[in-house]
Amino acid sequence: MLFLYTLLFLVLVVAAIFMTPLRAKVWTALALTGAGALWATVRAVGVLAGATPQTLWTIPGTLFGGDTGSLDPLSALFVVLIAIGSVASILYSRGYLAHTLAEKSPAHVSLHYTSLTVMAYAMLGVVCSDGGLSFLFFWELMTVASFLLILYDAQRREVSRAALAYLIMMHIGFVLLVVGFVRLDAVCGSASFDALGTYFQTHSPLPLFVVFLAGFGMKAGLFPMHVWLPEAHPAAPSHVSALMSGVMIKTGIYGILRTTAALGDLPALRTAGAILLAAGIVTGLWGVILAALQNDVKRILAYSSIENIGIILLALGVAALGKAQGNELVALCGIVGALLHTLNHSFFKSLLFFGAGNILSQTHTTSLDQLGGLAKHMPLTAMLFLTATAAICALPPLNGFISELLVYLGLLDGIASGSNILPSAAALASLALIGGVAVLAFTKLYGTVFLGSPRSHEVAESTEVDNLRLAAMALPLAGILFVGLFPRAAVGCVTRAADFFLHTPSDAAGWLLSPTLASAGRIAWLLIIVVALLLWLRHRTLRGRNVVEGPTWGCGFTATNIRMQYTGESFSEGLQSIATSLTQESGEGSPVGKGEIFPDAHRFDIGHRDRIGRLFSAWWVELLRLINQRVMRLRTGKINHYVLFALAFLVLVFLLSILNVI
Amino acid sequence: MALLNTLLLLAAALCIPGLINRTRARLAGRKGIRFAQHLYDVRLLLRKGAVYSTTTTALFRTAPSVILGTSLVALLFIPAGDLPALVSFDGDVVAFAYLLALGRGALILAAMDTGSSFEGMGASREALYGALVEPALMLTFGTLALLSGHTSFAALFDAGAGDDAKLIIVLLLAAYVLTKIVFTESGRVPVDDPRTHLELTMIHEVMCLDYCGVDLAYIKIATWLKSAALSMLAADAVAAAVCQRWWFAAPLAVLLTGLSVGIVESTQARNKLVRNTTFILTITALAALVFFTGYLLQLNIGIQ
Repeated sequence: MLFLYTLLFLVLVVAAIFMTPLRAKVWTALALTGAGALWATVRAVGVLAGATPQTLWTIPGTLFGGDTGSLDPLSALFVVLIAIGSVASILYSRGYLAHTLAEKSPAHVSLHYTSLTVMAYAMLGVVCSDGGLSFLFFWELMTVASFLLILYDAQRREVSRAALAYLIMMHIGFVLLVVGFVRLDAVCGSASFDALGTYFQTHSPLPLFVVFLAGFGMKAGLFPMHVWLPEAHPAAPSHVSALMSGVMIKTGIYGILRTTAALGDLPALRTAGAILLAAGIVTGLWGVILAALQNDVKRILAYSSIENIGIILLALGVAALGKAQGNELVALCGIVGALLHTLNHSFFKSLLFFGAGNILSQTHTTSLDQLGGLAKHMPLTAMLFLTATAAICALPPLNGFISELLVYLGLLDGIASGSNILPSAAALASLALIGGVAVLAFTKLYGTVFLGSPRSHEVAESTEVDNLRLAAMALPLAGILFVGLFPRAAVGCVTRAADFFLHTPSDAAGWLLSPTLASAGRIAWLLIIVVALLLWLRHRTLRGRNVVEGPTWGCGFTATNIRMQYTGESFSEGLQSIATSLTQESGEGSPVGKGEIFPDAHRFDIGHRDRIGRLFSAWWVELLRLINQRVMRLRTGKINHYVLFALAFLVLVFLLSILNVI
Repeated sequence: MALLNTLLLLAAALCIPGLINRTRARLAGRKGIRFAQHLYDVRLLLRKGAVYSTTTTALFRTAPSVILGTSLVALLFIPAGDLPALVSFDGDVVAFAYLLALGRGALILAAMDTGSSFEGMGASREALYGALVEPALMLTFGTLALLSGHTSFAALFDAGAGDDAKLIIVLLLAAYVLTKIVFTESGRVPVDDPRTHLELTMIHEVMCLDYCGVDLAYIKIATWLKSAALSMLAADAVAAAVCQRWWFAAPLAVLLTGLSVGIVESTQARNKLVRNTTFILTITALAALVFFTGYLLQLNIGIQ
């Protein structure tokens, strides 16, 4: 029945969006999504506030032994995250797509908005279903919808290529999930996440855990399966990037959370925790270092998503190790840190991608080498982007700091209590390095894009975007400020969602964390007050003094020009010289040679490609092409051949059933 | 008592640059500038007007206040010897490290705001070295947490090595690592040379090239506060090993940094820039080594 309803709903959505006039399609999509999001959020907030978990749907006895969907606190947290992200993203799309409406066919635009709406509902379905067929169904619906969303600019070659790569990789992940669920169903007679717990208790848990980790990790962008992310995000329209990076990859995290929780208190939890911790460290470091080396706004943001997924997994690893050791405080810090960082990342990453969208639509480029000085032309975008930048670098007084503080606290407690000394120390050093390099990556991004002087004339002529887009950006901003300035209230909700993992009741858990969080909140306010006071003092001191403006001091050199500014590439050159082994250089043109005393015009462009990405595209794309060639031989185009194939298939099935193979 | 602690830290912050200058002058056989010269310099700056580059935005004018604000708030976490800090909670070590990171980020962005190639150069170096030194700092905090079983500054040094010679060794090593971090974070030789203006080799000084007046004064004071906070940590580690009293720790912080920086700057040349990365990575390796030593000893002794 669920599928029938879904189909009916799909037809309705398609009809509604296709029927409305071109300019109003966005409002239809917004109304459709907004209604669902509002309904889901109200119920989710109810569950987070302490109402009993509700069953949303029950399908008796179809495939996988029947399916149910329910809303427990963990689902509720993700529902809130998805609702905010989807609504903000559709709201943003109006201004962002406005100038493209004329050149696209109405059907194309309708398809885009239909996909956006379906995507939002599919994600809500994913986090509400208890596993099995409905989970896989919504998962696949989500993948297809996001594939269509990436394809908005399908006429650009790199877009269709990135979308195809995305589709292929998602289906490899999907196959892994199907394998996992089928195995589960074969053993337990049901394929829900509850059944997974039973399976783990009766069978050796690690193989299936790794299968699920890989399947969900593909969506989340776990190293080395992250290669689709930096290709897909620059190709997709910015509001889609925001939705995918801020919200969709979190469904992968959701799956990993459920799988890890299903391990219960088994001895394998320790191994699983170590695997998650190691995966988190590698993913985080790889993501952040590659992010710092990129020279394109959206690629930096894409790699930083990988980094943040790494941090979330690291936190989850800490939680698992803490739980395995029976150290409740470590487990609590880890799991709450992971959940809060998931929420936080969806806020600041959406905001950053919206900012990237503003940059792209006003200047028509996202290359760091073309941009510069945007803060003067787009002051509000610059301010919003700066806030998100500080938040993603985990700087106080914003939300990223709160979640990382919890993760650090888990690590330090693990060391101090002597339960997981060496893994915690490794994670501690890595997390500190990740934080440091993130500051490098994002000061590079903000510094070259918004500060200094414009590097091209399009940038010099750009203007601020419309208010509606800024309003869409205010939605995640509110989340950033709320979590950063009122950490105790925010963590209160998240702690309830952490119930699924812990033995401690959430009230006691909240009480354990509250001294630190209360102090962190006070520090945030204290910092704001102190800075405000200092600004006032400075203002007072300068009053009546001689304050003048002049050119930037060129150290005695009088012929400085804009091209002599520090570029993004030169900013990260120091890191590049350490991290050469992670990347492959791709250069166009040649730099000015040493022997050239009077050099003529040179054009030189250098890029740093992900070595893992190269590794992947090198062999499996080639392999797929070969397989495809073989398969294509069967497609002769003659009816008689096809009839023969059908006959051969029937004979095969007949023979197999006679031989009792199937 | 907490107020006395903060006053002590402020006093240490004001004394350290003076002691460095005096040490350098003595070792070079010069008469040198007076002890409080840096205070007079700042008073002079506070009386001046300001010149701002036309390239800059409001960020450039706000950054100095943010930098000084973060240093001031970070200072509140640090205990001096047995005195309690003004602010203390589980995990304040993390807040301390990230407040410093916020100050660093603000300075980097302010430097990028001028659009000058020189300042971009300094900003890029600062960002890299800052990133590389972070794990060393965290690992040292981790070592102290391992020894003490606590996660806030107040309790970190409470372990009180007592008479255990092995623990004393670890604490002294941690103090050594912290002193090296002071060198890096406050931009002294061998990582950076605060005396060379307008050379392409420097880091901290070049980033505030376009600042003057109040703003420059703010940044200078922030640097003093930052190095005082880190020096006090190093002194606390020594004090925990030897004699955990505030009247021991506070002068020790001044002497430790003042003398060691002064001596190193008089006897050693600044690193070539490519060597800086190695230097900082060595600190991290050293921190990891100290942590590991602490871990092995803990296994052996079984302190909780």
